[in-house]
Amino acid sequence: MNEASIIVCRCEEVTLEQIRETIRQHGCSARETKLRTRAGMGICGGRICRPLLDRLAIKPGGDFPSELPLKVQPPVRPVSFTDWGQS
Amino acid sequence: MNTFYDLIVVGAGPAGLAAACSAAQAGLKVLLLDEFMKPGGRLLGQLHQEPGGAWWNGIREAELLVLGARNAGAHIQTGVSVTGLNRTSDNSWTIWTNQGCYHAPFVLLATGAAESANPLPGWTLPGVMSIGAAQVMTNVQRVRVGNRGVVIGMSVLAMAIVSELRLAGINLAAIVLPPGNALSGNASDPEAVLGSLLRFADLAPSAMLKYGAKLLQSSMLRKLALTFFPKQGIRMLDVPLQLRRCAIEIVGRDAVEGVLIADVTARGEPIAGSERIVEADFVCIAGGLYPLAELAAVAGCPFRYVPELGGHVPVHGENMQTPLPGLYVAGNITGVESAKVAIAQGTVAGLSIAINAAAKKAPGEAEVKDAMAQVKRTRSEALIQFHPDIARSRAKLYQTEIV
Amino acid sequence: MMSYGRIEHHPVLGPLPPAETCSFSYDGRLYKAREGESIAAALLAGGVRTLRLHEENGSPRGIYCNIGHCMECRVTIGGITGVRACLTPVKEGMDVRSGTVLPTPFRQMAEDERSPSL
Repeated sequence: MNEASIIVCRCEEVTLEQIRETIRQHGCSARETKLRTRAGMGICGGRICRPLLDRLAIKPGGDFPSELPLKVQPPVRPVSFTDWGQS
Repeated sequence: MNTFYDLIVVGAGPAGLAAACSAAQAGLKVLLLDEFMKPGGRLLGQLHQEPGGAWWNGIREAELLVLGARNAGAHIQTGVSVTGLNRTSDNSWTIWTNQGCYHAPFVLLATGAAESANPLPGWTLPGVMSIGAAQVMTNVQRVRVGNRGVVIGMSVLAMAIVSELRLAGINLAAIVLPPGNALSGNASDPEAVLGSLLRFADLAPSAMLKYGAKLLQSSMLRKLALTFFPKQGIRMLDVPLQLRRCAIEIVGRDAVEGVLIADVTARGEPIAGSERIVEADFVCIAGGLYPLAELAAVAGCPFRYVPELGGHVPVHGENMQTPLPGLYVAGNITGVESAKVAIAQGTVAGLSIAINAAAKKAPGEAEVKDAMAQVKRTRSEALIQFHPDIARSRAKLYQTEIV
Repeated sequence: MMSYGRIEHHPVLGPLPPAETCSFSYDGRLYKAREGESIAAALLAGGVRTLRLHEENGSPRGIYCNIGHCMECRVTIGGITGVRACLTPVKEGMDVRSGTVLPTPFRQMAEDERSPSL
C-alpha cells in the first residue's frame, strides 16, 4: 500500500507516509507528531484524525494512556470574533 | 446575554432530551443546546425493526422526547454551537457558544459520539462520506446520496445503516473491507470482522449469519467458513457482503467514479492480479464510533481509556457525575451504546442532578437507584451490542472511580 | 450536472412531508430548496457535490460527516466564511459561495529559491 497517497488529516492534507516517517525519525508522541506534521491542527480541531494519530503514535506493544494523548483547546468549534465578542 | 439556568444540557440527542425532561420535571430551570437544526441528535436517523416487528422510528422517538422535555418546561435551542466551558469563582459554570454565553451551577455534557474513519486513497473526493452522513441525508434530509454506492467497512453500525439505505431504495453495489494498512487494525481482517458481525446476527437478514452465528463462535470454524466464503459475497438485503474483498482506492477526477477493489486471502491480504473497478457515484466509509468528549476535556475532567466503550471516556460514576463539581455526562460520551441506553442514562443524570441541586420536587435516592437499574436492564436487552464486554467494563469503571 | 433527487416515498417514514420552497444562489447560480433543510441537502438534491476546493492543493471537497464535525462542507454565506453547509438551514435569497484555493506566496518563494531557473 502506497502510504504517500493516503491522507490521514483531511484539513491539512497530511499523509500516512509523512506521519509514519516523522514518528519513525523522531520517535515522537501524538502531540509532537501533531506539531511536526500539522496533522490534527486544521479547522476541524482534529475530530476526524485524532483517533488515527493516537493509534499511530502508540509504541509497538504499548498501551493507550489513560488521559487524552492530544490536548483539546477551546473553542472546540470555530467562532468569529464578532460572535465571540457578543459573549 | 446573561441568562441564568439551574442546568444547561449540551446535546439534544436521546440522553440530553431524557435528562432535560427528568430534571425539569423535578423543578429545575433547564436549557438544552444543540448545533443541529432540530433536536434528536443521531436518534433522528435511526430506523429499524424490533424483534417483535414494530419499527423503531428515530424521528418519532425524538419527537416524543422533545415533547416530554418541553412539557416539563425545558427550553430547547437548536443551531447553537458550544465552543467551551469553564468553572467560575462563584461555583458556577460558564458555557461559551457562538451565540453568547450562559451560566448555570450544573452542566450535563451529552455530546454523543463521532465517527472514526479508515482512510484510503481517494477518500477526500466529493461523494465519499461517512456512513452516518449517508444515514442523515437519507432519513432526516430525505435526499438521495447517489445512484450506486460502495460501503467500505463492516461494523455493526455499518450494517444497521446499510439496511436503512436499502429501505429508502438506495442502490449499493457492494460492502467490502477497508484496505489493510497501519491504521486499519482488525477492520481489514476477515476473521475478526466475521466474528464482530456475529453480534449483529439477530438483526442480519442473511441466513448464514443468523443460523451460523452459534456455529461460528469457534475460531476454527470461522477460518473454515472464510476459506469457503464466496468471492462475490453473500447477499444481505440484496447487497453483496464481500468478506473476501477489500477496497484499494477510491477513483475519480472531480468526484467519485468508482472503487478499485481486490480479492483478499482469508487473512485479508490482497491477491495480486485480482484488482478491478466497481463503478459507483458515492462511497460510505464505515469505521466505528468514539465518544465525543472534547468539552469534558476542555472543562478539565479526567479520562480513562476503555476500549470496550469506544476509547477515552470522561471519568464518571453510575449516577453520571464526573469528579468536577456540577459536571455530569450521559449517553455516548460515556461509551458507545444504543439510543435506548442513552435515554436511560439521561434519566439517571437528570434525577441525580435534581437531587444535588436540591430541586423543589427532587426525587428520592430510591428513584435514582431504579433509574440506574433501568440502564442495566436496557443494556442487557439491547438489540445491537456494540461491544460484548460493555457491562463488565462499566462495572469496573464505576467500582474503581470514587466520584 | 446530475441530480439524484429526493426520497419522495419511503415505505416506513411515508411520503416526503410538505414544505414551502425557497430559492438561494450557489456561486451565482439559482437553486431551489425545501424551507428548513440544510444547504448541503438542498445542494446535493440539486446535483452539487463539490462545495469547495482545498485552500492549498485545490482538491475538490464535499460533505463528509454531515453533522458538523469535519468542517469539510464549509461555505461562505453573505460574506461570512467557514459556515457549515450541513448544519445551516437554507433561507430565501441566501448567497452561498464555495471555497477556493488561497495563494501560498511563501511556499512559492521557497520553491523559487530551491530551483533558481531564471
